[in-house]
Amino acid sequence: MGASKANKPAVLIKKLKNNHYQLIVNNKPYVIKGVCYNPVPIGQGHDYDWWADPYKPWLVDGKLMQEMGVNTIRVYKDGTDGESVKQAIGDLYKLYGIRTVMGHWLGFWHYPCPLYADVDFQDTIRQEVLNMVKAYKDEPGILMWVLGNENNYSFNGAVNSWSCPRIDEEQDPIKRVAMRAEIYYSFVNSLAKEIHAIDPNHPVVLGNGEAKYLEYAALVCPDIDAIGCIIYRGRNFANLFNGIRFTFDKPVIFTEFGADSYDAFKDKEDQNMQAFFLESQWREIYQNLANNKEGAGNCLGGLSFEWTDEWWKNKEYDPDSFKVHDTGSNWSNPGFYMDNQAKDGKNMNEEWFGIVALSDTEIESGLNKRIPRKAYYIIRDFWKNPLLKSKKKK
Amino acid sequence: MKKLMVLTLCMVFACGIAFAAEDAVKSFGVYADKRSSDNHYIPSGWMGDVGDIKSNDDSADNPHSGSTCIQFVYSGKRLQNQGWAGVYWQNPANNWGSKKGGFDLTGMSKLTFWARGAKGGEIIQKAIVGGIKGTYPDSSVSESSQIELTTDWKQYTVNLVGKDLSYINGGFGWITNADLNPNGATFYLDDIKYEMDPSLKPESKKQEAMPFPIYENRSSRNNHYICSGWMGDYGDLKLDIGSTEDPYLGETCIKITYSGKGTQGARWAGMYWQNPPNNWGSVDGGFDLSKATKLTFWAKGAKAGERIEEFKVGGLMGEYSDSDTASIGPVILNKEWTQYTIDLKGKDMSYIIGGFACTTNVDVNPEGAVFYLDEIKFE
Repeated sequence: MGASKANKPAVLIKKLKNNHYQLIVNNKPYVIKGVCYNPVPIGQGHDYDWWADPYKPWLVDGKLMQEMGVNTIRVYKDGTDGESVKQAIGDLYKLYGIRTVMGHWLGFWHYPCPLYADVDFQDTIRQEVLNMVKAYKDEPGILMWVLGNENNYSFNGAVNSWSCPRIDEEQDPIKRVAMRAEIYYSFVNSLAKEIHAIDPNHPVVLGNGEAKYLEYAALVCPDIDAIGCIIYRGRNFANLFNGIRFTFDKPVIFTEFGADSYDAFKDKEDQNMQAFFLESQWREIYQNLANNKEGAGNCLGGLSFEWTDEWWKNKEYDPDSFKVHDTGSNWSNPGFYMDNQAKDGKNMNEEWFGIVALSDTEIESGLNKRIPRKAYYIIRDFWKNPLLKSKKKK
Repeated sequence: MKKLMVLTLCMVFACGIAFAAEDAVKSFGVYADKRSSDNHYIPSGWMGDVGDIKSNDDSADNPHSGSTCIQFVYSGKRLQNQGWAGVYWQNPANNWGSKKGGFDLTGMSKLTFWARGAKGGEIIQKAIVGGIKGTYPDSSVSESSQIELTTDWKQYTVNLVGKDLSYINGGFGWITNADLNPNGATFYLDDIKYEMDPSLKPESKKQEAMPFPIYENRSSRNNHYICSGWMGDYGDLKLDIGSTEDPYLGETCIKITYSGKGTQGARWAGMYWQNPPNNWGSVDGGFDLSKATKLTFWAKGAKAGERIEEFKVGGLMGEYSDSDTASIGPVILNKEWTQYTIDLKGKDMSYIIGGFACTTNVDVNPEGAVFYLDEIKFE
C-alpha cells in the first residue's frame, strides 16, 4: 500500500530491504496472533447471528483471549445489525486490544451458485462489500478485509460449480479452470481497488483455499495486499512460503489452520494431539516472519481455526444434533497422522477444533462456560517465548 | 526389551569368553552361522507371497564365513497374488509387535550384511531394519536402496546414524518383488550384524540425477516408485503395470481400469506411486529430486474422452510429508498417446515419497474409464 509519510495508513504492509514483508499497525510491527471467531452456542446452527447475542460472548471470550495473548480475531461476515457489529468490534478493541479481520464470502454460498461471470451478480456482491467497508472502516478495531474464503475450489467444479456461455464453449477443462480463475480473480482485484479508494487504511486480503490457482491470481490480481491461505497440512506447511514467493509474491496470512482435539481412531478426546499440531504450526509461522534469516520472511501471522467448538457442524441440517457434541468425521486428512488409522481415514472432527471447549452443563454470564484446552496454554506459552528450533524429525 | 549392554556383559561373564566388553558391544549379531550363539533374531517373519519363498539356513554352499550361510529361493510366481515377498528376522520368532521382545541397540550405527546371487543380477528391492508395528512397535525404521546382486560375496550397509534403536524387534529383513525378478531369484545372505562405527555420518539423501524414471517398463530396474497407494473406491480400480496393449515405448505400459461402481461409496478413486510402497507419510523414504524442473508422462484413453481430474506430484502428508506438491487437471484424454507435463519450477522437490498420482471420479466418468500411462519421469 502506498502512502506518504504524512498520511501513513493506520495499517500497512511494508516491504523491507531484504524483501521480507512486515505488517505495521500504528507505526509498529504487528504479528497476527489470531483465532477464527464464530461463537455459536450449543443448540444453535450456522445461521445464528452471534453479533446480536444479548449476552455479548465477545466480552467473556475477549478476556480469555487477552490472557492467552490473542491480538486478532477473524470473522467470516458481519451481522445483520451494523450497530451490534460495531459494538462487538469496539468492545474487543477498547477492552482487550483485540483487532478484527472482517471477511466477506463474496456470495460463494448464494443459491443456486455464485455467478462470478455475471455482471449483475458482481454488482450485487460489490455493493455488499463496499457497504461493509463503508460501515466499519472507521472502527479503530478493524485490521483488514478478507475477500472470499475457499472460493477458488469452484474453478474445477469441485464445489459450487459455476459457468457462463464462453466457458461452456471451451472443451478443454484445464482452460475452463483458467477462465474461471481469470474471471474470479479479476473481480476480486476490482474490489480491492475500490476498497483502497474509499479506505486507504486497511489492507485487502485475497482469501484462498490452499495455494491453489495462485499462478492465475498473479496475472490479474495485483491490487490485493496479501494472500490469506486456508491450510490444513498437518504438522507443517511444507514449501508453502517459498512456493508463494515464486508463484505470487505477496505476503501470506493464514486465515485458517489448526487441528481438532478428537482422536477419531481411539474415539476419545486428545488435547495433547491438538496442542502438538498447533504448536508445530505456530512455530513454522514464526520461522517465516520478517527478519528471520532461515525463513521466507513473507508471513504476517495466522488465525487458527478456531476459538470455540461449534456443535452444529457435523450435521449442519439436523437441528436435533446441535445439542450433541458429535464425534463423527466427514473427511480425511493424513497430514494429521496421529488418528489417521480411523475408519476410512476420516479423522477430521469438525466439532472439536476449538482451542476452548464449551460446557453443556454449566452456564456463566448467560453463555456456555468456556473451558480452555491444553492448546490454549501451549500456544500462550509459545507466544510468550517463541522457540523456533524444531523438535520434530524431518 | 532387553538391554544390549546388560546382555553382552552377561555373556562375557557367563560364558567366560575371552574378549573385552569394549569389543563385544562394537557389534551385535543377527545371523552369523547356523548354530552361532551370536544369532539374536530368527528369520520367522515371512511376508507377501510366502509360497514363493524357500529357505535353507544351513546352506554350506560357499558361505561368506564359517560353515553355513542362508539360501533363499524366491520363485516370483505370486502364489498369494501379492507380487512381492520378504522375510523379517524377529525376536522372539513370529513377533509382529504383539509381545515385548527385541533389543535396545542404542549405540549401533549401521547394519551390515553380505550377499550374493546364484547367477548374478538378482534384485533385492530393499533391506530393512525395524519398522514392525503393533502394540510394541519398533522405535524406528531404516531401509537400503535397491540392491543388484553379483555372484561374488559383497557387503552391504544400512546406515543407522541418528536412528532411535532403543527397541528393535525386526532386526533385519529383505523385500523384493516379481516385477524386479520375473524369473525368480536365488540368493545367499551371511554375517548379518549391527556395528558401531563412530566415523559414520548420518545419511543424507543425495540429489538424484535427471532424468529420474517413475515407470519405464514393468520389469525396469529404474522404476523408482511403486503404484501401491489405492485411494477412494479402490475396489473400482484394476491395475495392470505390465500391459502390452500398444505401449508408448518399450514392452509394457500401465493400464488402469476404473469401473465407476462406487464400491466403497466414495464416488472417486485414485492411485499413488509411492516410495517405499504403501508409504502414506508414515515412514522415511522417497528421494531428493531437487534437480527436477518438470515431470512428464504419456497418457491415452481407450476410447478418448476419459476425464482424469488430477495428475499430481508429491502432496503426501503424514509424519514424513512430501516437501511440495504440483498438479495438472482436469485432463480429457485422447485416443492417441499424448505427453503431459507438470511444471516443477519453484517447487521444493527435496523430499518426495509420493512420486506421482492420478484421480478421477464417477461424476465425470459415469461409464467408468480405461486409460493408459507410460514413461513417467522427472526431468
